[in-house]
Amino acid sequence: MKLETVGKNIIRVDGLAKVTGKATYPQDLYMDNMLYGKTLRSTKPHANIKVDTKKAEKIPGVIKILTYRDVPYNHHGVLFKDHEVFCAKKVRSIGDPIAFVVATCEKTATKALEEIEVEYEELEAVFDPIKAMDEKAPKVHDKSNIIYKYQLRRGDIEEGFKQCDVIVEEEYKTSMVDHAFLQPEAGIAYLENDTVVVCVSTQYPHFDQLEIAEALKIPLDKVKVINPAVGGAFGGREDITMQIHLALATRLIGRPVKAIYTRQESFVAHSKRHPMIMRYKTGANRAGRLIAMEATIVGDTGAYASWAINILRKSGVHATGPYEIPNVKVDSYAVYTNNPFAGAMRGFGATQVPIAHEQQMDILAERLNIDPIRFRLENCFKKGSTTATGQILEESIPLERTIKEVEKQMKKSVVGGV
Amino acid sequence: MKKRGIGYASTFYGTGYGNGFPDISRAIAELGTDGNIYIYVGATEVGQGAKTILSQIAAEALGVDFSSIVFICEDTSITPDAGTAAASRQTYNTGNAIKLASEKLRNEIINILEKRYGISTENIEDYLLQVAKLNGDEALRMDGIFTASTTEMDAETGQGNPYYPYTFSVYGIEVEVDTTTGIVEVTKAVCGQDVGRAINPKLIEGQIDGGFSMGLGYGIMEDINLQSGRIKHDRFTSYLIPTALDMPDIDKIIIEEPEATGPYGAKGIGEPVLVAVAPAILNAIYNAVGVRMKEIPVTPERLLKALKVKERGV
Repeated sequence: MKLETVGKNIIRVDGLAKVTGKATYPQDLYMDNMLYGKTLRSTKPHANIKVDTKKAEKIPGVIKILTYRDVPYNHHGVLFKDHEVFCAKKVRSIGDPIAFVVATCEKTATKALEEIEVEYEELEAVFDPIKAMDEKAPKVHDKSNIIYKYQLRRGDIEEGFKQCDVIVEEEYKTSMVDHAFLQPEAGIAYLENDTVVVCVSTQYPHFDQLEIAEALKIPLDKVKVINPAVGGAFGGREDITMQIHLALATRLIGRPVKAIYTRQESFVAHSKRHPMIMRYKTGANRAGRLIAMEATIVGDTGAYASWAINILRKSGVHATGPYEIPNVKVDSYAVYTNNPFAGAMRGFGATQVPIAHEQQMDILAERLNIDPIRFRLENCFKKGSTTATGQILEESIPLERTIKEVEKQMKKSVVGGV
Repeated sequence: MKKRGIGYASTFYGTGYGNGFPDISRAIAELGTDGNIYIYVGATEVGQGAKTILSQIAAEALGVDFSSIVFICEDTSITPDAGTAAASRQTYNTGNAIKLASEKLRNEIINILEKRYGISTENIEDYLLQVAKLNGDEALRMDGIFTASTTEMDAETGQGNPYYPYTFSVYGIEVEVDTTTGIVEVTKAVCGQDVGRAINPKLIEGQIDGGFSMGLGYGIMEDINLQSGRIKHDRFTSYLIPTALDMPDIDKIIIEEPEATGPYGAKGIGEPVLVAVAPAILNAIYNAVGVRMKEIPVTPERLLKALKVKERGV
């Protein structure tokens, strides 16, 4: 097939505007008669709350303070609707939104935040996902903290380990990290006749539209999401942050409302990468064939589920790495704690497991006295291979070739290369 | 003392929502009254290059110059839902939807030229304005819908075909470990990335650079310092991410082996370019100094502690 445009290094169509500062981000937008919104967030990881906004409302320039009482349907979330738009009775993590002050200027809004009285009745919290799995652990929501288990079974795991000449057992841990996108959250909402327009940096405008409509209990076509330039996302803009707050504020007040998070607020407002504890047992025979692998993976999703189910499922499916192993047993769990909530982040559960499976591969290779590259070539997926989930890989499986080309280039590029 | 070592990691990544969840992209291709081609699609440009890549697919499918494409993705009231800009799915899924819509539009333009003008041609470029004016104020529009292949796995055994297609990455990394300070410097990298077909090789290289820096931060730097549920490192003075100075020279190897179901054979690479970085660094650290770092990030403090434990022979 002769291709004319595909395969060409065409310069990014959005590039010039971004490097010259001309691209429009929601931060850059100003409207006549515009108001500013600031979010009051929980300072405790687990507590019953009582909120009194009376004093703050009296500050000149404060137009309205939104709380759970103002929200027609006070829930949102990509899978479970376990986030509250504003916490009603209980906060489950530091940073949970409690109220949204709308004022004539940012300074007044910030001042009003300090005048809102929140009475916290602290509850026992749980921060360790392993402890959170215990039935007696404090409940983050009114149900078990274990919200999901994925199990993968292939072949006969016990028989498989009996056939191994070398077995490596290790535990690996990954940390909670931030997407650190360049542009902190920002948005502006306004009315166009009876349509609520929310202009915000997001990575899935149509889903935001749906969640805004549900929370406001208005028809979908009465919500319009405008998505101008976005300064990176990496999964951190999958969950709602300010979208519903802005939409509700403009609908109730009738004036444009704008909000910009500081970097510090951005850190607590959006999801994080799931930290995982990964217990691995991997065995191979003297010929260098992987025979069996068992893994238990626990992912800490913090106070809200977000995409935890899909993420821990993806971890489970990718737990073997790109290798054919005839006997596999994987259990992966998603667990609530009172930590900041975790959600989508580039790699989505498939980023954590290679920390474990790729070190297991090198440890096994060393014990078997096989070169780690040869060991990978021996076991890697090829055309016709079957994955641990029983999926047959039929085309575009150039892994063997990629391993060989990388090894060749490493030998050329690295001085004194091994 | 400074010690060098190398390490490898190979990884795979399944594209799409997975597990049978409906994974649908919709797109509209329109011949505007000005003779330009308008692509309407709810696929966000988050910096990954979606606007450029997807416009290239449209231009290719229509057989028109890239400059004729106007790409519109910023407004839910005029764009169809193309799913989330995540799961490395926009090039593959939405690329397919745009390709379908564009091919339909091209066929329609060819039909019109033949029926109305008796012109039989494969080169529609020169006739776009002529065809556009036929309909007066009404633009010629075609839609394209693509649904990815995915099945729900068995609840007991996890058996099934959860994702399609899979993308592979193999990264080789050299590090230099300072055994006095515990600082790890990544000095060289070779990144082999399976892409199916490279729609825009430069943008793939850009993704590899970005994925590499994120993986580098993940492996040895980034720590939110969570204490009793509180993020202590909530700003860039304490939450350290890589800068340009932390980046090594990267040799990028783009591996093309077209995937029949992808647009022109392309697969998604947005996430795959990240996943092999940190494990390759960990294997290189072991190769350099003989300690297995089982917890990330490998901060200087953690590495020095591990080196001390090794020295004591514990």
